[in-house]
Formats: sequence, structure tokens, C-alpha cells
Amino acid sequence: MPLQLAAVPLNIDWQQVLLHVLNFVILFAGLWLLLYKPVRSFMQKRREHYEKMDADANAKNAAAEEKKAAYEQKLAAADAEAEDKRRAAERAAADYEAEKRAEADAFAKQVVSDARRDAAQIKAQAVSEARGEIADIVSEAVGKVVLEDSTSEAYDQFLDAASAPAEK
Amino acid sequence: MTKKQTCIFLIVIAVVVAALLAGIVLTDGLYESETTIQETMQDAVLHEGDKISLFGLPVNPGLISAFSVTAILLVFAAIVRIFVIPRFRFVPGKFQLLLEQAVGMFDGLAKGNSPHRNGFLGAYVFAAGAYIFVGTLFELVGAPVMTMAGASVILPAPLADINGAIALGCLSYLVILSGGIVSNKLRGVGRTLKEFSLPISMSFRLFGALLSGALVTELVYYYLALSFVLPVIVGVLFTLLHALIQTYVLTMLTTLFYGEVSEPYVKRPKAKKDKRQNKTSHSEATV
Repeated sequence: MPLQLAAVPLNIDWQQVLLHVLNFVILFAGLWLLLYKPVRSFMQKRREHYEKMDADANAKNAAAEEKKAAYEQKLAAADAEAEDKRRAAERAAADYEAEKRAEADAFAKQVVSDARRDAAQIKAQAVSEARGEIADIVSEAVGKVVLEDSTSEAYDQFLDAASAPAEK
Repeated sequence: MTKKQTCIFLIVIAVVVAALLAGIVLTDGLYESETTIQETMQDAVLHEGDKISLFGLPVNPGLISAFSVTAILLVFAAIVRIFVIPRFRFVPGKFQLLLEQAVGMFDGLAKGNSPHRNGFLGAYVFAAGAYIFVGTLFELVGAPVMTMAGASVILPAPLADINGAIALGCLSYLVILSGGIVSNKLRGVGRTLKEFSLPISMSFRLFGALLSGALVTELVYYYLALSFVLPVIVGVLFTLLHALIQTYVLTMLTTLFYGEVSEPYVKRPKAKKDKRQNKTSHSEATV
């Protein structure tokens, strides 16, 4: 035994070393094919899946942001247009109001002037008619006074004749 | 803790101590070994008296352990490949998470330490890590085999055999060398050969670490008085810790050196010396 120990330190056996290497190479190949590669490829596939999901979500987010910006732009344009229209409508309404007011004023003036003219005409006509009636009454009264004997009777007749048109 | 609980606790402790003492007294002399501790430890290191026949070839028990570990790992891998991997889900379960963590850890180790070239390295350190870890824990199984001399021995860890440790150490060195050659051709060879002591240090680190564990365990088991409670700590916890540490050390060293030799060569521009400045400084120095 001591001789063997001196010949091969720690009893290293190169044949067994090679057997260990062969054993490990077989183990390496087996583990690589059966476990490492499939698990790693699955993890890679999952990573790609989630990266794709992330990319899709980002793309959708970007598209949504673009749409939002476009909608906001459109909304701003619509607001501006509505404001313009509102101002135009206000202007038109103000113009229309002014026009109508002018027309109404003119009409009112016309009505007033017509009324005044009619009133003047009616007044003149009434005055002339009253004058005629008064003249008739006066002449009738004068005739009656002249024709009647007593003065008091004539006076009563005059008063009756004068109150008759007022009652009518 | 109430008084009642304290009493129960003390009674349990007293019963356990009494049972252990009774066991020590009663089993004294049952397991008298035919060999001395010196012979046992010498066998653990040199394997002179415990050769096993492998198809007629006398081999160390460590080689049988290595084959057993490989068989266990390959059968496990085949079962996982056939029954588990096809059912993998994007949201992993506990076992899938464990497998992914193991693969991801070694893959990450390879990528982190050797960013330029790591495809093969990741697979290699995964296999080496699994081999060292399971191989170290294998000694806990305590599988008995018959030696050529007719005695029964317990299969040790494969790397507690110097031949196994040399095989893995040298193979790791060859992997590092191959990485250097593929990445940097002759320069890679030079970089790897610069670390000529690496195969020896890697081999003997593995062998020494695992052998020391085996020797401590042998010592503990040899003396009967130490064979209660203590083997649980020495045998299980130390072996588990050992397995983790040795796996980490070898894979880390392999990836680190692989990354170093496979790093692309960057030619650094030589700093031009300013003659005037040199002259001035020379004259100043003379003055």
C-alpha cells in the first residue's frame, strides 16, 4: 500500500476521472435537452408575449392619445364655431330688434299722426256739425221766440230745444 | 406562558433527556466498529479498501454515486419534460416557479458575469449546479453498496471522490478555455492559460470542502455518544448548507472566469508622450 500511495498521490485514477467526465457530459446533455432548453424557451416565449402585450398597449395608448388630441382639437374648433355663430346670431338678433323697433316706432308715429289727423278731422267735422246744429237751433229758437206770445214760454222752448241734442 | 404550560414543557424536556440517556446506555457496545477511526478516515480519502465492481472494473464508491445522481436527475428531467413542461402556464404554479427560478438563476448568473457570450455557459452552470447540489445531498440518502471485499459501504457524495472533483474542475477549466478560444482566438487561450492554477484550485476546493464535510460526519458517527441529536445538525443542516455553498462557489467562479476570458479585446490607444513636457520635467528634476 505505501508503494501505491507514493506512485499515485491521493489514489487519483485517470480512468475514473474520464468516467466522471463522461457521466457529467451525459448529464449535461440530458439536462440541457430535457429541462434547461424547454424551460428557458418557455420563459422567453412568455417574455415575448408580455412584451408584445406591452407594445400593443403602448400602441393603443398612443392611438387613443392621438384620437383624444384630435377630438380635443375638433371640440375646440366646434366651440369656436359655436361662439362665432352665437355672436352672429346675437348680432342678427340685435339688428332685427333694432329694425323691428324702428318699424314699430315708425308705425306708432304713423298711427299717432293718423289718429291725430282723424281726430282733427272728426273734431273739425263735429265742430262744423255742431255749428250747423247750433245755428239751426238758434234760428229755430229765434223763430219760435218771435212767433210765441210770451217770453217765458219761448225761453222754455229754447231750453228744451237746446237739451234735446245732448240727450241724443 | 402559564404555569401549566411551563410544567408540560419541563416534563417533555425531562422525558426526552431521559430517553436519550437510556438510549446511550442501552446501545453502548452494539455498534463496535472493526476498523479504527484512522482507517475509516483513510478509506474516506483514499478508497483503498472499499472498491466496488463496475462490470468487473474496480471503482470508487463516488463513481457509483455519480452515476446514481445522473440517473436520478435524468429521470426527474424526463418526467418533468413529459408531464410538467407541456402544462406550463403564463401565471406559474409553485413547482413551475421553482423550475423557472432554478433555470433563471443560473441563466442570470451566466448573463451577469459573462455578458458577451453566455448561451452555452448558462446550460453548463445549470448542469454543474444541479449535479453538485443533488450530489452533495445524495449522501444523506445513505444508500448502501457491497464492496469487492464483501463489506457494506454507504455511497458518499460524488465530489467527495478526488476523481470526481478533478473531473468537474478540469471540465470547468476546459469550458472556460473554450469560451476564450471562441471569443478571442489565441488571445483567449493566453488569457485562460494565464490562470493555469485554476483547474487544480477548482478541483481541490470541491474535493477539500466535500471531504472535510464527510470527515466531520465520519468523526461524529464514529463515536456513539455523539450519535444522538447531533447528527441531525451535522448530517442534514451542514450537508444542505454545504450543497448550497459549493454549488454557488463553483458556478460563480466558472462564470466569472468565462466572462473574463470571453470579453472582447479592446485596443487602447497608447498615450503619446509630450517631448517638451518631458524635457521640462527632466530639467526641473536635474535642477
